[in-house]
Amino acid sequence: MNLATYARRNLFRRRFRSIMTVLAVTVATVIFCLIRTLVVVWHAGVDEAATDRLATRHKVSFTMELPKHYIDEIRQVPEVKAATWANWFGAKDPKERVPFFAGFAVDSDSWFDVLDEMQVPPDQLAAWKQTPNGVIIGDLLAKALDVQVGSRLVITSDIYPGDWDFKVVGIYKPLRKTADRNSLVLRWDFLNNDPRAGFAKDKIGWLVSRITDSVHSAEISRKIDTRFDQRDDQTLTTSERAFNLSFLGGFSAVLGAFDYGSLIILLIMTLILANAIAMSVRERTHEYGVMRAIGFPPRHILGFILAESVLVALVGGLIGVGVVVLAINNGIGPVLEENMSGFFPYFRAPLWVLGLALGLSGVLGLIAGAIPAWRMSRLSVTDALRRID
Amino acid sequence: MSENQMTEATKTAGAPGEPYRGTTTGTESIVTLSKITKTFFRGSEPIRVLEGLDLDVPNGSFEALMGPSGSGKSTLLNIIAGLDRPTSGAVRVAGADLGPMSDSELARWRSQTIGFVFQSFNLIPVLTAAQNVELPLLLTSLSRADRARHVATAMRIVSLEDRMHHYPRQLSGGQEQRVAIARAIVNDPKIIVADEPTGDLDRKSADDVLTLMERLNKELKKTIFMVTHDPAAAERAGVVRKLDKGALQ
Repeated sequence: MNLATYARRNLFRRRFRSIMTVLAVTVATVIFCLIRTLVVVWHAGVDEAATDRLATRHKVSFTMELPKHYIDEIRQVPEVKAATWANWFGAKDPKERVPFFAGFAVDSDSWFDVLDEMQVPPDQLAAWKQTPNGVIIGDLLAKALDVQVGSRLVITSDIYPGDWDFKVVGIYKPLRKTADRNSLVLRWDFLNNDPRAGFAKDKIGWLVSRITDSVHSAEISRKIDTRFDQRDDQTLTTSERAFNLSFLGGFSAVLGAFDYGSLIILLIMTLILANAIAMSVRERTHEYGVMRAIGFPPRHILGFILAESVLVALVGGLIGVGVVVLAINNGIGPVLEENMSGFFPYFRAPLWVLGLALGLSGVLGLIAGAIPAWRMSRLSVTDALRRID
Repeated sequence: MSENQMTEATKTAGAPGEPYRGTTTGTESIVTLSKITKTFFRGSEPIRVLEGLDLDVPNGSFEALMGPSGSGKSTLLNIIAGLDRPTSGAVRVAGADLGPMSDSELARWRSQTIGFVFQSFNLIPVLTAAQNVELPLLLTSLSRADRARHVATAMRIVSLEDRMHHYPRQLSGGQEQRVAIARAIVNDPKIIVADEPTGDLDRKSADDVLTLMERLNKELKKTIFMVTHDPAAAERAGVVRKLDKGALQ
C-alpha cells in the first residue's frame, strides 16, 4: 500500500455519486471537444488557405460582379504568376439527393492550375476543354449523385433559370484534407454564351491569383487594387485567408459564441466536480481528523483530496476523449464529410483538441478540489475529530 | 516497537482476565503538565475548561481519567497527545516541550510518540485491517517489506493475524477496536492515549480490549492514559484520576 492507494480507494467509495460525477465530466469533455472541433473545422478553410494566393472581388460587395477583362490586367502584374476567375452558379440537385453543394463557373484553362489542391487526371482535364457542357465534380459529390465520368447530369440553379444539362467529364480528388470534395465546376464560357445568363454577360464573380512572393502579399494586393482605382468597378484584393474569413462573415459571431459556450461547459463541469468533492470531503472530515491525529501533516490531506479530484476529472476526461474518438472521429465525422462536405470537408477532432480537453480536465479537477482541500487541511485536528456526519 | 519486543510480548502475554492493576511505579514522568488552563469561546463568552492543572504521569504507568461529561477529560487528553494546545501553561511529553512546536512538527512528533485508540475505532473503511495498521508507517522511511513485518507483528499481538485482509465492515466491534490498537502500537509509540476505548463495545469485547491494553502496559512497558466513563475499565488502571470542573480531585 502507498498513499495513492487511499486516494484511489476513495474514488469509488460512493459509487453512484462517483459514476455520476465521472459521467458529468465525460459529457462536458465530449461537448467541449465537439464545440472546439466545430470551430476548428469552420476555420480550417481559413487556417489552411494557401499563403501565395490572393483573391480579388468587387470593392463594394462580394455579390457585385467585375468586368471579365480585369483578368487580363491582373495577369500583367509582374508578381502574379497565374490568375483565374469564377462565378457563383448556385447549383441544386433537382432530385434532392444532395442537400447542398457548391457550383462554380470557372475558366477551364486556368482553374486547376491555380487551385492545385484539387487533382484531376490529365485526360479528363483535356476532355473538359473539348466539351463545352462538361463538368468536373468532387469525388464525394459523384458518389452522392451516383454519377461517373461520361454520365449525364441535370441540375438547376438559384440564379440562372431552367434545367442545365451537363456531362460529367472528370472527377477531382483532394490533395488537402480541407478541400471541398462536394463541389462542381462548369465552364465559364459555356455559361457566358447561354442566353439565360445574358444579364451577366462578360462578368466575373471573383479572381484568384497565385503570386511569386507570399511575404509581400499585402503590397501586391495594393498594387492590384491601385490598377482599378479610377474605374467604375473598383476592386478589393486580400489574401485567400482574409477572403475565406469574409465568407464566414456574420457566422464568426456565432463561432465566437460557441467559443464562450465551450468555456461555460467547462465552468459547469468544474462546479459539478467541486460540489461532489466538497460533499465527499465533508463526509470524511472525521476520518481526515483521525489521519491528522496519527501524524499525517496537512499537506498530505491536501494531497489526498486534490489527487481524488484530479483522478475523477481525468477518468471522466479520458472516457470523454475515448467517446470523441469513437463517436465523432470514427462515427459522425466521416458521415458529415460524405454528406455535408460543403460545410464540413473534414470533421475530425484534432489531436490537440483531445489533448487540450484532457489537460483541462486535469487542471479543472485541481481547481475543483482546491477549496475543499485547502479548508480541510486548515481545519484543526480536534475540530475535525468532533465532526461526525 | 522493535520486532523482538513485540514478539516477546506475544509469547509472554498473560491469559485474558488475569488480575492486573496496571503499573504505577515509574520513576520518571513521561507527561508533565504545569499550570494548564484551557479556555474556549462561545461567541464572545469565555468558557474555562481547565483551571491551572498540574499533572505528572510516570513512565510505564496505566492511568485512567474519569469525570462527568464536560469536565475537560477529552480536552486534557488532547493536550497530552499534542492535538490541542493549552491557553496557558507548559506541556512536556516524552521529553519534548510541545509549546514551541509548529503544527507540522507536532504532527511528526505525534506519529513517533503517540498511539491513539478512539471510542468509535475510526478505522478507514476502504482499507483492509492490515492497511489500516500500516497507515502510520507510511509516514516513516521503512521499506514495504519492513512495513509488512511490523504490521504482521502488531496484528499477532492483537490476535488478529487471520483477519489481515478483512475490511472493517467485515469485523465485529471488538475486532475493530483491536485493529485500532494494532494501528496505535505499530510505530512503537511511547504513550498510548485512549479516549473511551470500550465505550462502543459490549462487556465481553470491552474486557478483551482492556486485557490487551494491560498486556501492552505490562509486557511492552507502554504508558497508557485512558479517558473513560466505565468504572470496570478504570479498575484495570494502576491509577485512577478524577477530573471535575477543570481540576483534578
